[in-house]
Amino acid sequence: MKRFSLLFSAIICLWLNVASALAAPAAPAPGPKDKCPVCGMFVHKYPAWTAAIRFSDGSHAWFDGAKDLFIYLNNLPRYAPTRKPAMISAMLVKDYYSLKLIDGKTAFYVIGSTVYGPMGHELVPLAKQTEAQEFLKDHGGKRIVRFHEITPALLKSLE
Amino acid sequence: MHHALSRHRNILDFALSSLLRRKAKNISLFLVYTLIIFVIASLIFFVQALKREAALLLAEAPDMVVQRMIAGRHDLIPTNYGEKISAIRGVSEVTPRLWGYYYDPVFQANYTLLAPDTAPPPPGSITIGSGVARNLRIKTDDLVTFRSYSGTPLLLTVSGIMPLHSELVSADLVLMAAEDFQAMFRMPKDVATDLAVTVANPRELVTVANKIVELFPDTRPILKSELLRTYDSLFDWRGGMMVVMLAVALFSFVIFAWDKASGLSAEERKEIGILKSIGWETGDVLLLKFWEGAVISLTAFLAGVLLAYGHVFFSSAALFSHALKGWAILYPQFRLVPTIDGYQLSVLFVLSVLPYTAATIIPAWLAATIAPDAAMRS
Repeated sequence: MKRFSLLFSAIICLWLNVASALAAPAAPAPGPKDKCPVCGMFVHKYPAWTAAIRFSDGSHAWFDGAKDLFIYLNNLPRYAPTRKPAMISAMLVKDYYSLKLIDGKTAFYVIGSTVYGPMGHELVPLAKQTEAQEFLKDHGGKRIVRFHEITPALLKSLE
Repeated sequence: MHHALSRHRNILDFALSSLLRRKAKNISLFLVYTLIIFVIASLIFFVQALKREAALLLAEAPDMVVQRMIAGRHDLIPTNYGEKISAIRGVSEVTPRLWGYYYDPVFQANYTLLAPDTAPPPPGSITIGSGVARNLRIKTDDLVTFRSYSGTPLLLTVSGIMPLHSELVSADLVLMAAEDFQAMFRMPKDVATDLAVTVANPRELVTVANKIVELFPDTRPILKSELLRTYDSLFDWRGGMMVVMLAVALFSFVIFAWDKASGLSAEERKEIGILKSIGWETGDVLLLKFWEGAVISLTAFLAGVLLAYGHVFFSSAALFSHALKGWAILYPQFRLVPTIDGYQLSVLFVLSVLPYTAATIIPAWLAATIAPDAAMRS
């Protein structure tokens, strides 16, 4: 009997492992039909600029640039009337140098640079301050901004 | 429906027998037509196959290659350059590469020697391309001797022969361990032929290249896009030669078709007159001429394309490979992998079969619209 329970618990452990491996958010990527809710463009065509908002139910809203993500975020009632700010579990942006998704809240954004995204002027996301400074120098950026500094007025100036 | 079909069949029957009646003329027509199609289709197949080989070659090329220059010539690059380059923002990987050429005086051929950094053959053994195997007449587990730069022979075992994905790329390739490569060319261990640099964001390539030149003014970064441009212009040059040949061939075709079009013989005109006087409609006569033209041009087109296919892919374009391929003399014989561009073939079809058929119909139409007795008497 004891042996059976051991076997049973082993199977449960294995099953839980597999289940958690499946449930864990694998490196998310936009599908071929995902459109940016702000500009309506297909997101998968611009892998270097992908940004995403993950909601608590596990679904994603995909954007073709950090700028559209912030426009969406600042006007949630207009773009997603059914969503509440409290339902947002993560914000992801693409790091310019490594092309990996990084946390949008801690990222450094360079504005005014000569690097344009699919929607023109962009907030170029970078993972580290030193990287942001170097990017600013290399590509004629104007300023490094943090998450909380990105206001509707600043977004307006990027249009 | 059935009636219309049998009408076509009867007219086709008549067209074939009337073609056979003028055997000599039609056979010579068919031969000239086939020859022209053969030349043009060979060119299309050949350039297409070369382009495919080049695309394969470049698909695996790194984003950027950094070479060291001395007095404007390529020199060996110290591997410690790579450490500083990989510290540049945006660079994800730097791999030193070891490769070069070896001239085999016995078989009079050039081989490309490469020490791959992923899964290299163990020291003392090599993996060779099919062209090298053919040239040296060796197979797996045989021994090969290369003359090293110190003068001593280097004995190597063939551990495998590469598959035939792309002949142009792998035919002359010899893969060996880095140790053997260094021993063969008496190369110091801390240098490489060049550095392959990978940059995650392709947008950053130019900035990285500028930083490398700033850091090491004695180096020359070469971007993959520049390589692509060079190859493109190379093939365009060859393609340009092809355009000239194509234009000549097409022009001769136009003259030939024009000759055929304007020269409806008195006999043919008489025949049209007789057909009309025994009750053929103008439409029937046109259909007859259409079938005559279609039979000749379709069979000639098919024969020409098939011959060209055999010429390019089975005999390695023996007739004009010397004109189009570069250093062919020192190169192991290679076979092109068949590729067919349906678009170009259909363009060729539209440019040859359609005008030819039209060229046969128009004079017939002119002859068929005059009164039968006038046609017979003229």
